[in-house]
Amino acid sequence: MKSRKTIRIKAVAQTGAIIVIACLLAVCTNILRDSGLPLVGDWSADSRFADNSGQSLVIGLTEASRMHAENKAVFVDARPESQYNQGHIKGALCLPWQEADRRFMEVAGRLEGGKTIICYCDGENCELSHELALFLEDMGFEDVRVLVNGWTKWRRAGLPTQKEDRENG
Amino acid sequence: MDNRFFEKTEKIGFVLARILIGAVFLYASYDKILHPQAFAEAVYNYQILPDAAVNAVALVLPWIELVAGLCLVTGMWLPGAAMLAALLMAAFTAALVFNQIRGLDVHCGCFSTQVTHGPANLWTVIRDICFLAVSVYLMVRTVVFPDRSVRKAQARSL
Repeated sequence: MKSRKTIRIKAVAQTGAIIVIACLLAVCTNILRDSGLPLVGDWSADSRFADNSGQSLVIGLTEASRMHAENKAVFVDARPESQYNQGHIKGALCLPWQEADRRFMEVAGRLEGGKTIICYCDGENCELSHELALFLEDMGFEDVRVLVNGWTKWRRAGLPTQKEDRENG
Repeated sequence: MDNRFFEKTEKIGFVLARILIGAVFLYASYDKILHPQAFAEAVYNYQILPDAAVNAVALVLPWIELVAGLCLVTGMWLPGAAMLAALLMAAFTAALVFNQIRGLDVHCGCFSTQVTHGPANLWTVIRDICFLAVSVYLMVRTVVFPDRSVRKAQARSL
């Protein structure tokens, strides 16, 4: 009985020692690394949805809806086509991020014209719109923004949507 | 004779199990140590930890896997390594199941930080449950029911 208890104490002590060694190794390698991670990171939307220079691409719903009403922006839906067909922001183009390379030429003509391009997908952590925005910046478009959790926010605000050929709102 | 055969088979099974789980941990740690930023994003996407803890966990977790994996493969600090492996596997499996239930489409981040490996699914959960079962066996065998106790229990049952 005593030996079992000793083994359990030993196991807990060894577990603690492994964790301490791992922490030391993690901190040391992180310090030695060229681009080490800060121990406490910035996971705000502005930081997560930024371009390669660190500039935030995020646009708020108020500004996006105003630009939609004034026809000053082109909306691009980054979700798969099946989800786009089930409903999308009125007038939005369909350019699923997974097929962006192949389908870019289908929508390229409608993206030109100097309007702001607003990419959106669905969910606070959906990366599709961000990836698509970076792709469009690489393709030479300068004013590209991301409406985070765009589809859900847009619907909840009762803003104009479209489902296949029918318009809502 | 039967008793000796059982003991021998069990011993071989135990060694194979600890090498298997050790190798799984070593393999799992490799890509995460090389790409801490990508692993931090995978941890963040699980939406379980507070934002302030994401980077620290993403930095330390792969090294815990590496050290625990080395201990399991070499047989050093076995009770501690086995207990840690079981705890880690239980936490990983719980996190995966939790996100499957709430319908969050996250990438596993288990062995690779690359999103091209596809999101976690039922098979990922089943695989983790298998690893969890083996890890729990290792913990029971080294911490709860170590060698001498096995023999005593067998002697009593004969």
